[in-house]
Amino acid sequence: MTARRRQAVVVGVATSDYPHLPGMSEYGVHGQAADRALADAGLTFADVDGLATAGFFPMYATMVAEYLGLHPLYLDETNTGGSSFEVLLEHAAYAVESGAAEVVLITYGSIQLSQMGRRLGTGGGGGGGFAPGPSVYDSLWGNTLVGNYALAARRHMHQYGTTAEQLAAVAVTMRRHAGTNPQAQERDPITVEDVVTSRLVADPLHKLDCCVISDGGGACVVTTAERAADLRSAPVYVLGAAHATTHHLNMSAMPDLTVTPAAQSGPAAFARAGITPAEVDTAQLYDSFTITVVLTVEDLGFCEKGEGGAFVADDGLAVGGRLPTNTDGGGLSACHPGMRGMFLIVEAVRQLRGQCGATQVPDARIAVAHGTGGMLSTGATVVLGREAP
Amino acid sequence: MTGRWFPDEMPVPAASAETAGWWEAAAAHRLVVQRCDACGTTRHPPGPVCPSCRSAAASWHAVPGTGTVYTYTVVRQAFIPALADRVPYVVVVVALDGSGGARLVSNVVDADATEVTVGMPVEVVWEDMGPELALPRFRPRGTPSEPS
Repeated sequence: MTARRRQAVVVGVATSDYPHLPGMSEYGVHGQAADRALADAGLTFADVDGLATAGFFPMYATMVAEYLGLHPLYLDETNTGGSSFEVLLEHAAYAVESGAAEVVLITYGSIQLSQMGRRLGTGGGGGGGFAPGPSVYDSLWGNTLVGNYALAARRHMHQYGTTAEQLAAVAVTMRRHAGTNPQAQERDPITVEDVVTSRLVADPLHKLDCCVISDGGGACVVTTAERAADLRSAPVYVLGAAHATTHHLNMSAMPDLTVTPAAQSGPAAFARAGITPAEVDTAQLYDSFTITVVLTVEDLGFCEKGEGGAFVADDGLAVGGRLPTNTDGGGLSACHPGMRGMFLIVEAVRQLRGQCGATQVPDARIAVAHGTGGMLSTGATVVLGREAP
Repeated sequence: MTGRWFPDEMPVPAASAETAGWWEAAAAHRLVVQRCDACGTTRHPPGPVCPSCRSAAASWHAVPGTGTVYTYTVVRQAFIPALADRVPYVVVVVALDGSGGARLVSNVVDADATEVTVGMPVEVVWEDMGPELALPRFRPRGTPSEPS
């Protein structure tokens, strides 16, 4: 009898309080989320031998380990921007499957919203002094983060006839989902008209095409199916994952502004999971901006390139629609603390456990979490399933 | 272009050994892209090796300074404090003629923001930001020259 291959599973997930945490530190958010995710798994900090997290300075995971009182044998602080937590989950799966770790805790914490208030005048960054190295070929000409996504949106509109109303449909559906999430930052229903008449931030993206800015975090616990057999909740299987990059931060270096790294990471993750996009019951997709979602549904293969606008329109992303997406309300309405990828994992797992209440996708068996980081620079896809592969 | 388009408070670049040539050419109002000496592939921004063949040998290839708008945005909310009073302005990705496919992020000036379209022909116009720094911006091609 041969030994059974070790199979990575997610056994605990949690979000911290959100979206406004004026009394908490960044590390406090990590701690609260970690505590809740371990409780959800029926584990304690004493069971954890691996830690993964991402933040904005070197040795970040070491700092979080110290704060949490962990001395892990496995440490990962890979930062690919908004897709970081999908990459960290992929790595954690490899770690437990190889035997390098038994229980990996992945945590995220941010107080981006409260910090803006505390850093008046510098919250937007830049101004004076030397322009930071890699993005100087954009920033000197006044390009902005929103501007980068707007450049992609304008090109997609030109090539494929995508309309502002189709982009707006993404925001409208996310807001409807947020209306069922008591924690969501913005919950009042909006219409396509509301989106396209909201103030332009960077043409063609309006204020309501942009994510909210929040405080918050989350955590998940990864171990093996064997270990999960003794735990309280049904495990969620990591069926396959992959990540990719096309450029760093300069839009002049992005080969095609209508094609994101999801075009590489998606097919690779689906192949590793042994599934096709048609088998996916629900998707949790990074929605920094409405255009991010349109590009992602195309690149992951849920529709043909250029048809993303029509795919997301007319409630295409609603529960009961073509691809129920961001059932917690997404970054556009629920919570976006800077690197939202952890929230995608938490919501995907909750869907597969049937814990999503009003936005539960009936009998969800396969869920995809896809993070997008930088200026459409990185993409990371994780395929999760309710049943063992 | 009349006067300064962006204010003096804008950040200034820190050039490296690999990028100084681009900034030096710009200061002399010459628009160049880096071209690999081994395989001829062009690239922008400048970098240490060819992304196609990884050769470190490269030269500065002069381009005519004309091109077309690949995509654009009208920035209406400035995130750099120095530009708070400058909005709205147009950020553009220009597909440079004669560049082997290189693109440049820049601005369209001397045009109303509503006139800019994808595919619009543009030509370079230089703004001197200081004795060692000039930035290429673009205006609709065929714009009459200013009287000297």
